[in-house]
Parts: sequence; C-alpha cells; structure tokens
Amino acid sequence: MAEKVVMPKMGATMESGTILRWFKEEGDQVVAGEPLLEILTDKISMELEAETSGILLKVYSGPDEVVPVHQVIAYIGEEGENIPDSPGSPTMKSLDSIPSQQEEGEQDLRLNLKDQGSIPNKLRRTPAARKLAQAKGIDLYLVKGSGANGRIHRKDVEAYIQAQQQVQVKATPLARKIAEEQQIDLTVVQGTGTNGKIVRQDVWKERQEIQELPAHDQIPSAKKRMKVEGIRKVIGQRMLQSTTTIPHVTIVTEVDMTRCKELRNELLAMIEKQTGCRLSYTEIFVKFVASALRRHPKLNATLKDDYVVFNPEVNIGLAVSIDEGLLVPVIKNADQKGLQALVEECKGLRSLALESRLKPDQLTGGTFTISNLGMYAIDAFTPIINPPESAILGVGRIGEKLVGISGQIELRPMVTLSLSFDHRIIDGAPAAAFLTDLKELLENPYQIMA
Amino acid sequence: MRTLSYMEAVREAMCQEMRKNEDVFIMGEDIGIYGGPFGLTNGMIEEFGPDRVRNTPISEAAISGCAVGAAVMGMRPIVDLQFSDFITIAIDNVANQAAKLRYMFGGKGKVPMVLRTPGGSGAGFAAQHSQSLEAWTAHIPGLKVVQPSTPYDAKGLMKAALDDDNPVLFYEHKLLYSMKGEVPEELYSIPLGKADIKKEGTDVTIVATSLMVHRSLEAARQLELEGISVEVIDPRTLVPLDEDTIIQSVKKTGRVVVVYEAVKRGGYGAEIASMIAESEAFDYLDAPIVRLGGAAVPMPSSPILEKKAVPQVEDIIRGVKSTLVD
Amino acid sequence: MLEITNLSKQRREHLLDLLYQMELIRTFEEKVEKLFQQGKIHGTMHLCIGQEATAVGACAVLDKQDKIVSTHRGHGHAIAKGMEINRMMAELLGRATGYCKGKGGSMHIADLDIGNLGANGIVGAGLPIATGAALASKLKKLGYVVLCFFGDGATNEGAFHEALNLASIWKLPVVFLCENNQYAMSGSVKEMFNIEHIAERATAYGIPGIVIDGNNLFEIMETVEEAVERARNGEGPTLLEAKTYRWRGHSRSDARKYRTRDEEEYWRTHKDPIAIYRNQLMKEGILTEEGYKAIQVRVQNEIEDAVGYAENSPLPSLDTLEDDVYA
Repeated sequence: MAEKVVMPKMGATMESGTILRWFKEEGDQVVAGEPLLEILTDKISMELEAETSGILLKVYSGPDEVVPVHQVIAYIGEEGENIPDSPGSPTMKSLDSIPSQQEEGEQDLRLNLKDQGSIPNKLRRTPAARKLAQAKGIDLYLVKGSGANGRIHRKDVEAYIQAQQQVQVKATPLARKIAEEQQIDLTVVQGTGTNGKIVRQDVWKERQEIQELPAHDQIPSAKKRMKVEGIRKVIGQRMLQSTTTIPHVTIVTEVDMTRCKELRNELLAMIEKQTGCRLSYTEIFVKFVASALRRHPKLNATLKDDYVVFNPEVNIGLAVSIDEGLLVPVIKNADQKGLQALVEECKGLRSLALESRLKPDQLTGGTFTISNLGMYAIDAFTPIINPPESAILGVGRIGEKLVGISGQIELRPMVTLSLSFDHRIIDGAPAAAFLTDLKELLENPYQIMA
Repeated sequence: MRTLSYMEAVREAMCQEMRKNEDVFIMGEDIGIYGGPFGLTNGMIEEFGPDRVRNTPISEAAISGCAVGAAVMGMRPIVDLQFSDFITIAIDNVANQAAKLRYMFGGKGKVPMVLRTPGGSGAGFAAQHSQSLEAWTAHIPGLKVVQPSTPYDAKGLMKAALDDDNPVLFYEHKLLYSMKGEVPEELYSIPLGKADIKKEGTDVTIVATSLMVHRSLEAARQLELEGISVEVIDPRTLVPLDEDTIIQSVKKTGRVVVVYEAVKRGGYGAEIASMIAESEAFDYLDAPIVRLGGAAVPMPSSPILEKKAVPQVEDIIRGVKSTLVD
Repeated sequence: MLEITNLSKQRREHLLDLLYQMELIRTFEEKVEKLFQQGKIHGTMHLCIGQEATAVGACAVLDKQDKIVSTHRGHGHAIAKGMEINRMMAELLGRATGYCKGKGGSMHIADLDIGNLGANGIVGAGLPIATGAALASKLKKLGYVVLCFFGDGATNEGAFHEALNLASIWKLPVVFLCENNQYAMSGSVKEMFNIEHIAERATAYGIPGIVIDGNNLFEIMETVEEAVERARNGEGPTLLEAKTYRWRGHSRSDARKYRTRDEEEYWRTHKDPIAIYRNQLMKEGILTEEGYKAIQVRVQNEIEDAVGYAENSPLPSLDTLEDDVYA
C-alpha cells in the first residue's frame, strides 16, 4: 500500500509551505530517514526526511509550489502500485473521466494551460511534453521548444529538467543565493553538508579563495540586483509587522561585567574540557536572563488576541546572524539548564543555524529573545520584538569604561543592555524592574544560587 | 517447418476446410482448370469437382448474390473475386445484402460467406485492376474485413474467416502471392481482431497493412542501423480492429506512422490514425501522427508513375524520421 | 457474296488498304508480344491476333464522325479506327508521348478526338457507355452512330442486358458487335451459355440479332453497314455476333489448358482472316504476291519506326502524377 507524503504542519500557525526542491525524482529508491525534499515555511527552510522506504512513485508538487499543510505531495510505495493521478482525488481516476473532473483534481500549476484567453501566443507542446511537465511541476513557458513552430517536445522538457538539476547542484538555498550573487560556480564548490551538500561556509570559503574579502561587505563594481524573496522577504515582513503593530519602547542600562568575567574565567577551562566548546558571554546572558524572567513573568508572556498568555517555560531565542538574514534558534527551558548544557546547546544551535539545518521545533516556542551585537562596536540599539513575544533584549559590546564606584573612578568592563518591550501589555515600570533585576544578577552572579 | 507461398497457404486453408466440411464451396471466374489468373486455385477442381469448385460466367453481381442466398440457406460459400476492383459490380450484394441481412431481419439468419480477392498495385495492371478498396467494405457495418500480410497469417486467417458466421472480406495482395514463409501443415486458426507485432521496437511505432508491412520492416531494418528502433504492428484484421495492441505500442513509443497502400484520403489508415488520437495514447504522443498513403490518383500504368503513387521504403523512412525531433 | 469485279480504282485501293490494316494489326500485336516477353512492356497484354477482321471490317464502314467503344483487347479496334501506331506503342511502353500520357496503358488506350471512346478493363462496362454516347448523339442531333465492341464473356454481365434494353427502348443509334472468340478468358461458351448463338439474346430486347462469320471481312462489312444504316435512320440498335477465335491465350500468363491444340490449329489453318481475305483479293486479281510482300515490308518498317519512336520518347515526369485527376 503506497504511503502518502504530506506537507507537514511544522508549527501551530503554519498554513502552507513552499517546496524548494526535491532531492529525489519519481522512480527513485527512497530510504526512510534520508532527506526527501526541502521546504520553506515562514522564515525557515528545512529538509524533510522520508518516513518510509520504497520507490518515489509520484510527485505532485514541484519547486516553488505553495502547498497547504496536510496536502499530499507525493507517494512512496512499490513499483506498479496504483496511485491517484492527482493528490485531491479520493479514488483512482480512469483516463476516461470527463474533463471537469480532470480539472478539479489537477494540481494548481502556475500555468493553467486551459486558460488561454489571457495568453497572447498559444503554447505548442506535444501531449507527452505536457504530461511530463505536469508531473514535474514545470512551467512550459520556461521551456524552449525544438519542434516545428517552436513546438515543445518531451525531450525539450527533459533537457530543461536536466539543466535545472545541473544548476541544482546540491546546495542550500542560502549557499545558492550567495553563489549567485557572488557569481560563484557551484559545480566547483566542495560541499561539506549532508550528502556533500554545499552550505554557506563552503561557498564563502570558495569566495575567499578568490578574494580575501568578507563576501557580503563588498560594494559590487556594477549595479547589482538581488530579489527580495525567501528568508529575506519573510524577515522583512515580520519586522514590518512587528514594528507596525507593537508599540515599542526601549529602555537602556549599563551593567558592570566584572563578576561575570570572573565567573567566566573560573568555568572556562572546565566547560571546554567537558564540551569542547568555549563558554562565551552569550550563554551567561542566557542563563541570567532566564533566571530574571522567572521573577518577571510578564516579560515572558505572549499576547494572543485579547489575552496575555503567561508561558510556563522560559524559552530563550538567540538571534543568529546569517548572510541572508536572521535566524532565532530557541533554547528551551533555559532557566533549568546549567552553563555547560547551555554552552553545548547554544553552540550547537548556532552551528545548525549557520548551516540552515535547524529543525522547526528548534525555531519555535520562544518566549523571549536575546540579540547580541557585542561582537561589533555597538553599545546600545533598539531591537525589534520577535512576535508573538513581548520583549527582546539587545546586548552591546563589553568594553572598558570609566565608572564611578563609591566615589572612585575605576575602569570596569561595562556592557549596555537595551530592552525593547511591548507597551500594550508591559508598562515602563515593570520593564524597568526586570532590567534592574537582570543588572543586579549579572553584577552579583551568586544571587542566582538563591 | 516447410515453407509455402502466400497463394499456396490460402489454397491450403480452403482445401483443408473443404475436405472437412461439405458445405464449403467456391465460386469464381476462371477458377477451374485455369486455376485462376495467378494460379491460386490450381488443382482444386481436380480434387473437389465442378460442383464445389464452380467456374462461373463473368457475372460478379450474380455470383455474389448467389453466395448470399446459399449462405442464408446453410452453406458456406467462398466467392473468388478475380480482382478486388470488381467489387464495384458485386457491391450491392456485399453491402446491401450480405452485410445487413441479419440485422434487418432482427437477428434471424446469418450470412457465413467469405469473399476473397487480390488487391494492390505494382504489377502494371493500371487503374481498374490495381486498387486497394478495403476501406469501402470496412465502412459497412455487418462486414468483417481481413488483410493478411504473410503466408502464415493468410492460412490462419482464412481458416478463421471460414469459421466465422459473418460475411468476411479477405483482401490478398497480388504482389504477395509468391512470397514464401513458414506455414504449419495442420489447419490452424488465427483469431480475427488480433493484431501482430511483426517487430518490436522502442522509438517509433509503424502500423502497416498488407504489402506495406514488408516495406515497413525493410525501412525498420535500415533505420536500426542509424540507431532508431522501430516497432512494426500489423493489424491483420481491419474490422474488428485490435485497438489495444496499437494503443499500447503508441503509449510506449510516443510516435506513430500509419502506412497503407490505399489512397491516403479516406483510406482505412485514416481510421487507425483517428482512433489513436482519440485514445489514451494521445497523452503520450510526442509528435503528430503521420499517415503515409497512396496518391489521390487512379493508378497510372507507366511503372515510374505507378511507383510514385504508393508509399515506398524511402517514404516510410522519411516518415519515421519526421516524428523524431532533432 | 460481294461482287468484287468491276471495281473502281478507289475501291481497289480501299480494299488493299483494309488488308494493310489487318496486316498492321497482326504485326503490331506480334511485336508487342515480343516486347512484353523482353520485359519492355510492363503489366499485361491482351492480343487480338486472329480477330483482325472484325475490327477492320466494322471500322471500314463507319464515317469519320462515328464512334467506337472498345474492350481490354482493343489494339486492333484502335488501329482500325485510325489511331497512330507510334503513339500507341509509346503508350504501351509507358511514355509521356503515348495517347494517354503513359497513364492508361494497354487496357485503357483511347483517343476521343478520333472517336475511340476507349478500351476498358472492366468486362461489359463499354456497353452502357456506348448507349450513353448514342443517347447524346440522338438528343443533340449530332448524327453519329456508336459501334460497341465486346466479347462473349461480357454478355453474361448485367450491364450487357441493361444496356441493350435501354438502347432498344430509346431507339438509340448504336450497333452492338459481339466478337465471340469462344472463350471468356478460360470460360468456354459451351460451358457458360445455354444457347448456341449469343445473337439469340437480341429477341429478349426486341432488336435484330445476326450471326456472322467473324473471319470474313466482306461479310462483316456488309452486315455492319446495314446495322449502321438502321441506327443512323433512327431504327434503333442491332446485336451482331461475329464468330471468331483468338489465337493467343487470354493474356500473357495463360497456359491455355482449357482448350486443345487441335482446336487452335484448326482455327489458325482454316479460319485465318488475313489469309482468307488475301486469297479473296488475289483471286479477284486485286492483289499480287509482290503487292502483298510490299504490304508486309511496309508494315514491318512502320512497326520498327513505331518502336523506335516509343523507345526514344521520354518517360512521364514524376510531377505529372497528380495531373488530370479532375477537370
């Protein structure tokens, strides 16, 4: 019995997903667990693994197609098994069915070949070419026909598919975009991702081998255009949504990181030995923010319609900068994890984010976000809240500053914290109280033991 | 296995059946001692006598009508129409009588007659002795139409035609009469309505009848050398037509050339092409259906024009290649 | 019996010309037979050797405007009606210069200009056509008579009966001349008829039926002339039956198993129309040995020229294939 492959509902709010590309073709052998296709949902792209083994009998939706969740996108089973001609039909359809049934069941191609009124020149294609294009979800207007009068034959469609696939050297969408922008030939790039897939680093490395400049900081010699799409588009939309619907207020404080520094130095060696990773201030911030949030549930809440939902878990999202934009992997129950666990998790998530290999559940469920620009020469800034959360903490650089302590001027490692909050549900005082508590904790870390 | 000529194969089927069944007899012009203009009935009158091998005057209308009457009354006559062109004189009895009798009488009565006749051009017999008119009779409901291309097919189909309780038109080809092939000695039957894949292939399907089967096979052989794999299908029976075999082949290859000697316009190959276009094979077509048929002219007598008037091997090769896109 | 003494010079020349015509026909047929065996003529041949008298005798008494309708065995009719052997030979050899541009061949040779409405491959098909041509003559008052040649075999086709009846009831100017050469391909008249003379069938249609010796030129001329007069005078058709014999088989592939060599020998020896006529002329002093030889030589030369003409003529161009299908 052939198994369905459906567009999964990866998050509570997910309505549909966009297919980026299939790793397998109709007729290919598929092993359960191996990557089957890549989809884009909201702001993240992710690989979907096959859940069963068998032959990929049929693929209904192709690249760039938007598919509602739970809709069947493919079938895996044994060769020769009967499967519906289109995903919607509940029964096997014979080819003698009347045309109207055919139209209903047919996948929604970008090109509706029956609606030719709006098309100035009718497309010439053989039935076999059309059949193949439909199966692979190919827009026939993109295919060059080699037959009489520009007629598209089956082999023209096959050639188009092949060309696409050749261009489709296995690479992540990000790597591909970078490569396109940087005009790097993907076929020469060595892939270090799953199954030799090319990830962003690989392209960047390639880029660096060509020039010793950070890829994204160079002004092009000629005017360049990059289409706003994919993740960039999603981020843009969400930023717009956030800033236009949430009344942001940002409050700022400076924190003396002397004690945190000590803490770090104390634990650095041990944690490195245990995890192989170096404890960074990020994890420290995560730990203390999570602790502070425990005492200020409003900043850990989410606004849903008319309700303020107080979340029982403290899930801290860590903004990670990638070339394409921003990813925010989430550390669940951050308050319950020791620094060692946090180090491992943060580093792990960061890696995954850079390679775009984050799973959906690693990107959802956050209750508070930390955005750290401390690696740059940034003191304070106005972070934008990550909906549906109600606040976000921006962290600047730690730098030596002159401060007054009990009448004395001393050089101390100081960091500026910028807290943006949703003024619909949090007023200035509670926000200030939280920030004050946080500062307190960071400057007196042992308090966390209490 | 021994070989027989196409002509001998037809004769053997008739003789073996006539030995078994007394009701079978044959009527025709010059089929007695003369043995027919091609010698097909040689030896028959000597074996079966003048009652069962009836040499008639030149009266095609009377003979064919006579066959209808005898058939209705329980006999199983064979009419030998000396040239298929003479169907013009016999047509009323074939189309208006034999074909329709059972239906008109509400299912009472049957006309188990076989009208066998040679058609086709290439012997220089000119306009009135070279036609391929099988489409005329294929058009008439109530008739079955058979067109064997090899000695083996000829014997088996003749047996099936003789067994059939309906009027059967059996179209031979005068140029195939001397063709030799393996033919089993026993009497065997090839079911009517079953096509034969004369050659398997993967790139292009040719559906051809009668003499054109052989020209197509030659074309296929030459195309094979160029790496083009051609499948040649011989329907063998025109009515009823084995649509399924043809459809499956076209689904496989996606390209089809229909080759027939009859005038292209309105020839039976036009029916085959239409059937393919209406079938599920349509979705698999990667090139338009190609038809190769005879020129729309009365058959000229000069050999150079006679050759030009019907599909030759080169024409078939060209036709096949036209379905393949560069 | 005709009075052949006291003939005018013109008449003598005419009679000699008839001998020349018969000789021409026979030599033409023999030549064509040879060419066919050599493979230079494609298709099939139906030779009228032994039947020259009916063709020549009948056409001799026709006016120039009168028409003939011929059969598949029509070379003799064509030559007797005045068609040129050059162009006939070219047609048989499939040349563009043939009467039918190489498209008709032996069985369909025709020349409407000269009044030959064509040889026909379908046995009996000529009779209704002849009837129709006669109808046109009557309706349009054109005054010509149609002479329809056909064989014994044709008289068993429905078309024969229908045409005779029609011509009779409409009193059409047509003469039906049956060349009974005793065999319809292999079917002998003894086998295929239950009557002795085909001419008897005339009574069924209310027209005169006359039996004549098909190898006696004078008899043929006399009888046909009377029938033609009747037709021209509006008295309707006549059925003439000329008993004759074809020396060769029906066509090239005929082994002639259906008749005996003795029979063939008899007709050749005793019923050769050319020999009979030649003797008649010699007896009357119209023809001498030298004169006959001269005719033979002349005929030979003309045949050779015809073959030369035909062989040097071009084949039809391939792009003429589809010409002349429609007017």
